Amino acid sequence: MPTVEANPGPFTFDTDSTVLLVIDMQRDFLLPGGFGESLGNDVSQLSRTIEPLSALMAAWRAAGLPIVHTREGHLPDLSDCPPAKLARGGIGEQGAFGRILVRGEYGHDIVDELAPLDGEIVVDKPGKGAFYATELSDILDKFGARRLIVTGVTTEVCVHTTVREANDRGYDCLVLADCVGSYFPEFQRVGLEMIAAQGAIFGWVADSPTVIAALQEQK
Amino acid sequence: MTASIGPVKADPYPWPYDGTVPVSRTALICIDWQTDFCGKGGYVDSMGYDIELTRAGLPATARLLEHVRDLGMLVIHTREGHDPDLSDLPPNKRWRSARIGAEIGSDGPCGRILVKGEPGWEIVPEVAPVAGEVIVDKPGKGAFYATNLDLVLRTHGITHLILTGITTDVCVHTTMREANDRGYECLILSDCTGATDPSNHTAALHMVTMQGGVFGCVATSDDVITATEPSNHPAHHPQAA
Repeated sequence: MPTVEANPGPFTFDTDSTVLLVIDMQRDFLLPGGFGESLGNDVSQLSRTIEPLSALMAAWRAAGLPIVHTREGHLPDLSDCPPAKLARGGIGEQGAFGRILVRGEYGHDIVDELAPLDGEIVVDKPGKGAFYATELSDILDKFGARRLIVTGVTTEVCVHTTVREANDRGYDCLVLADCVGSYFPEFQRVGLEMIAAQGAIFGWVADSPTVIAALQEQK
Repeated sequence: MTASIGPVKADPYPWPYDGTVPVSRTALICIDWQTDFCGKGGYVDSMGYDIELTRAGLPATARLLEHVRDLGMLVIHTREGHDPDLSDLPPNKRWRSARIGAEIGSDGPCGRILVKGEPGWEIVPEVAPVAGEVIVDKPGKGAFYATNLDLVLRTHGITHLILTGITTDVCVHTTMREANDRGYECLILSDCTGATDPSNHTAALHMVTMQGGVFGCVATSDDVITATEPSNHPAHHPQAA
C-alpha cells in the first residue's frame, strides 16, 4: 500500500478504499472578478493550488482511482439557502459571472483547468460541509471508501468543515497543503496546524508530490 | 411580554442578523465541560496539556448559566464519549489516542478515558446541568452527527444558538460549523471557551468573523447579559416528547 510522509506521522492508503475529494474549485471563488475577489480577497492565494492539483488529478486518473468534486451553491429560487446565510449578502445577486453561488450559473461551475471528466461525480452542497444535506456519504459507501485525500478551497472554511464531518464519520483524511488554499495566509497556516494537532485530531497533512510519487511507485 | 435577546454587541455584526429574538427561540449550548477535557487526571491532562487553558472559561460560563436560567432559556449540555464496549469508537480515533499516550477506553486516574458513566466523562461541578436541562451524548467532535441534537432544537422551536465550551478549535468549532450549515444563527463567546493552544483559540475566533461572519459572530458573556431583556414572567419551555 502507498505510504507518504505526513504530519504528524506516515499516512498509508489502500488504492481500493481511497477517494480524492476536490472541494469548491469554482470560478466564483478563484477567478479575478468573481465573488471572492469582490469581497476584497486576494484570489492569487487560491489560484496557486490549480497547477499542483491539476498534476495530482492527472496522476490519480492515470492510476484509475475515483475523484469526487464538490460545488457550493443554491437552487435558483434560493429555497435551500438559510435566512441567516442570505442576510449576510451576495448570494443570488448578479455578479460578474452570473447570479452568485446559484446552480447553473457560469461562476458556480468549476474552473476550466480542473473540470470534471465525464463519469466523475460532482456533489452540489448548500453549506460549507460536503456531508450535510448531500449524497456524499452514499457515494463514498459505494466506492468502499475509508480514506480521503482532501484538496480545494478554502482551507479554513469548506475544507475544514468537510474534514471535520469526515473525521467524525470515521474516515482517515489526508489534506494536501499545496492543493488547499485560503485567502488569508495566517488561516492557511493555522488551519493546517489544527488538522494535525493532538496526534492528528482531524487528520494528516502532506504535499501532493509525495502522493504522486507513492502512486507511481505502486505501478 | 416574553424575555428577549439582542442586538448583542458582537463581531462582525450586531447579533443576531434579525435584530431581537425571543429567548424562547434561543438555546445556550455548553459543549463538553467534562473532567476529561478540563479536570485533573482527565484525558487532556493525561496528554500533557495545561488544563488551566481549558478551565479558563468556567467562571464566566457559570455566571452566564445562572443568568439564562433566570430568563428561562433552554440550556443544552453535550458530552463526548463512547459506549463501554467501544462499539461506537471509530478505529482510527482509537489508534490516534493510543499513539499520543491516552488511549480512549483505557484506564486513567479518572476511570476509563472518554467512556460513558466514568468519573472523567462527567461534567465538572462548576457548570453541571440542573434538573430539566437537556444532555446530548456525542461520539464525535460535532454535536449534530449521530445525535438527536437537531431534533431537540427543532422540537423546542430553537433558531438561535449561543455557544460555550471546550475546546474552541475542536468541538466548539465543529459544532458551530454544523449548526451554521443547518441554518441556525450562531454566537460564540470568547470568554466562555478555551483551547489547549492559546493561538488556536484566537485563530478559531478570528475565523468565525471573516467574510461577514462566515460561521456567525463572536461576543463575550457580558455582551449577552447586557443585551437581554427579562420578562415579567419566566419563559416556559415545552418538554420534548
